[in-house]
Amino acid sequence: MNERLVLLKNSMRAGKHKALRQAHSIELLPECEVADLSWPRRVARLVRRQCEAERVIIAPDEQIVFTRSLPGVPPVYTDEEWASLTAGRTLHELGPVSNICADWGLLLSQGLLGRREVALATRQSMPNDPQALEFLDSAIETIDAVMALSARYAEEAARLGRADLAAVLEIVPAHPARTFREALQSLRLCQAVVWLGGNYHVGLGRFDQYMGSFLQSDLQAGTLTLDQAEELLAEFFISLNKDSDLYPGVQQGDNGQSLTLGGLKPDGSSAVNELTRMVLRVSRDLELIDPKINLRIDTNTDLELLCLASELTRKGLGFPQYSNDEVVIPALLAHGYDLEDARDCVVAACWEFIIPGRGMEVVNIGAVSFPAAADQAIRSSLAEGLSFDEILSRTAAGIRQQVDRLAETYSRLLLPPAPYYSVFMHGCLEQGRDLSQGLKYNNLGIHGACSANAADALAAVKQFVFDEKNVSAKELLNALQTNFAVYEPLRRHLDEDGPKVGSNDARADALLVKLFEDFASACEEYGRLPWGGLLRPGTGSAMYYIWLAEGHDGMREPLVGATADGRLSGEPFSANLAPAPGVRVRGPISTLQSFSKIDYRRICNGGPITMELSDTVFRDPESIRKVAMLVRMFVQLGCQQLQLNSLNVETLLDAKAHPEQHKNLIVRVWGWSGYFCELAPEYQDHIIARSLYQVA
Amino acid sequence: MTSGIVLDIKEFTVHDGPGVRTTVFLKGCPLACMWCHNPESQSIQPQIIRSPSGERLAGQEYEAAELATLLNQQAALLRANEGGITLSGGEPLFQAGFVAEVIDHLEKGTHVLLDTCGHASRADFQLVLARSNLIYYDLKLIDRKAHLHYTGVDNDLILGNLEVLGESGRPFVIRVPMVPGVTDTDENLAGIASLVENMPALVEVDLLPYNRAAGAKYRYAGMEFKPDYDETQPLNFNTKIFEQAGLKVKRV
Repeated sequence: MNERLVLLKNSMRAGKHKALRQAHSIELLPECEVADLSWPRRVARLVRRQCEAERVIIAPDEQIVFTRSLPGVPPVYTDEEWASLTAGRTLHELGPVSNICADWGLLLSQGLLGRREVALATRQSMPNDPQALEFLDSAIETIDAVMALSARYAEEAARLGRADLAAVLEIVPAHPARTFREALQSLRLCQAVVWLGGNYHVGLGRFDQYMGSFLQSDLQAGTLTLDQAEELLAEFFISLNKDSDLYPGVQQGDNGQSLTLGGLKPDGSSAVNELTRMVLRVSRDLELIDPKINLRIDTNTDLELLCLASELTRKGLGFPQYSNDEVVIPALLAHGYDLEDARDCVVAACWEFIIPGRGMEVVNIGAVSFPAAADQAIRSSLAEGLSFDEILSRTAAGIRQQVDRLAETYSRLLLPPAPYYSVFMHGCLEQGRDLSQGLKYNNLGIHGACSANAADALAAVKQFVFDEKNVSAKELLNALQTNFAVYEPLRRHLDEDGPKVGSNDARADALLVKLFEDFASACEEYGRLPWGGLLRPGTGSAMYYIWLAEGHDGMREPLVGATADGRLSGEPFSANLAPAPGVRVRGPISTLQSFSKIDYRRICNGGPITMELSDTVFRDPESIRKVAMLVRMFVQLGCQQLQLNSLNVETLLDAKAHPEQHKNLIVRVWGWSGYFCELAPEYQDHIIARSLYQVA
Repeated sequence: MTSGIVLDIKEFTVHDGPGVRTTVFLKGCPLACMWCHNPESQSIQPQIIRSPSGERLAGQEYEAAELATLLNQQAALLRANEGGITLSGGEPLFQAGFVAEVIDHLEKGTHVLLDTCGHASRADFQLVLARSNLIYYDLKLIDRKAHLHYTGVDNDLILGNLEVLGESGRPFVIRVPMVPGVTDTDENLAGIASLVENMPALVEVDLLPYNRAAGAKYRYAGMEFKPDYDETQPLNFNTKIFEQAGLKVKRV
């Protein structure tokens, strides 16, 4: 990174641009009320007024501009109107459409004027469809607003004597981009306006695919060097981090501003290009949380590319996240996706596989609590003196009940119109339909959360109550009901001697597989939603590993107390696909083997195997190459998705304070490896200090 | 069927040989080095380790075929990723018959690395050597009396087996644990260099930095750590001694 970029990054990190923010959000309601505007018109007006109210901000040596100055997104209805508008319907999270992905290639290849032409042509062809006309006029209003904002930026650039910048802004986003710089500028502005309009978790899609040709042609023409291209890309990435404190999310940084690299072209050949590698390099050097990077790989992926990706993992940012095309694509096909679309898939905000520009899917409507299903089945069946088979069938019934409840709730889903976002979707302008009325794919996704704990609980009951018979049903029931109050030896027996997911132990893994089979069956048997969509089962858990254990306002999922895997009430569950917290497993290879047993063809929504490696294993190029080989093993084993973390200082500090939660944490001390929690405190401190040094 | 005592099995041990490896740590060692960083590996008996993360039993008995079955579950994966199985300890040759039987039950083509201190009968050494693809051979002290003082045994067997190793033609790495004022003296390093300089199968000499974290592990294992040297002294990484003898040398 050159000095200019370091300064830009530091200035952004220091939040200097925030001083230029406006004190108040704009007010929109009176205008909407007076004119009695329809919902689509209100949303269009919102986008327009936001664009008009934006301040033009051009820092002295910025090449990629747009800095948001508006602090918020104003409501388009009063609270009372909103309540009556949405009565009896289900809103997803905050309401506005989120967590989908545009096809930004439409913007870059056609320009906003090109999209406007499409809207006008459709307008001509549907003169008698008032709903279509209203949508198209709304979309055109937003297009014009963005072009006007861009024109103000161009004027200011000219006034400042920034001829290069003014020239770029005179072309994009109105016209198709011609160069890498124009393409980045066009995307920056148009994506930022989606946020300004109140939509969130705005993904960047297959960045290396729609952007790669611009890089390629500039490099070939000799108008751009590799260094200059990297610098532009770095600037673009820095700009994506400027406004993230204004984005909604569970935690700051939970903003879904992710992009996807690699994978396959429509014809099935490798899509990896120069930009794929450049994004990995630049992200590695920048060490910023945005954009979050997903890398689609398969068994033929070059080890060199995985090495580069592992260098990024080493930074401890928690990405890239890997998806295995050889598993994901067949699963999408099995759920009704066309082959070319499946090959074009990206990862949504977190894990879910969606098709850019072609999906109005709500991929995270909620979670099935596996621990609740298993626990209710265990307690009720033991109380009635029933068999283990009965426990299994009651678990399946509990899963089905939860799936049905979520699906019923979401069959009343209400999606607000999004005329501007629709501009970048296939078929909206072409058919006069807002994306909220549906796109090519309209499925819902449910995650099966905290599977490892549930499987461990079932495995312990089978092992100790039914097979070895050294724990009586009554004793276990009493222990669970009293949160193991006077049953600590039993709790330890369940915790330490029971079969556990993550160690390639068939006794526990078979139950893990069964949970997901039951989950998939429940989704399949539910069938079609009122509008024709399917339920996609997945393996993620987001915040549910805390919520399902501790409870949370507005949570629709059932709460669980102490569980038969020896877990006390309130203790967190496993996140995504990971061994239960505190369980000592055989190691990362066995963990991959455990999770490779799930039938991902039926479980297609996504949700990663989550693994932590000490950053001390990334010490030299040879070790990084081995991390890359571990990633290759994940693909070779036929797993679906992998999130690999390099452990950072915070984890080490937490391990020091709560050693019982980090028994597997292995650190490289000097010429040897050891369990972190078995080192004397002074040496733990030493490693913490050393890690601090490495990060700095 | 032979059974043996295993201290631990660790997967993805990135510093225990080429490629992706799983390392089996055998329990029991004929040496009791004053600086040993795995004191719980010295006795062959299973024992309780008490640390802040709780209690656990160190040491589990396996039958040879049972252990091999476990390892074979990932043998193909390890092979596909340039790696294999590393047998370490403790001292794997302390249970040579068991170790040889485990190797015999591994899938054909599994890369086996033997990590040994060399203190074993010639027969035991040859038994496992013949079944291994690469040897990590520890050399600590050339002086016989010093060796006895610091490790509890003299180095006759070790130096004898080193000759066997050199003549076998098996590729090997010499590993020297650097202990301040004990093994890191110019004299000792020069002695090591002169012993191995004419062995063509020697891949390289690795100098292993001294590990000061050992003390706590003694406490957790209910043992006493009592070095008679000054732990805080800087180490003498005099790699020139090896380079001048034409040897490849590396600080690990």
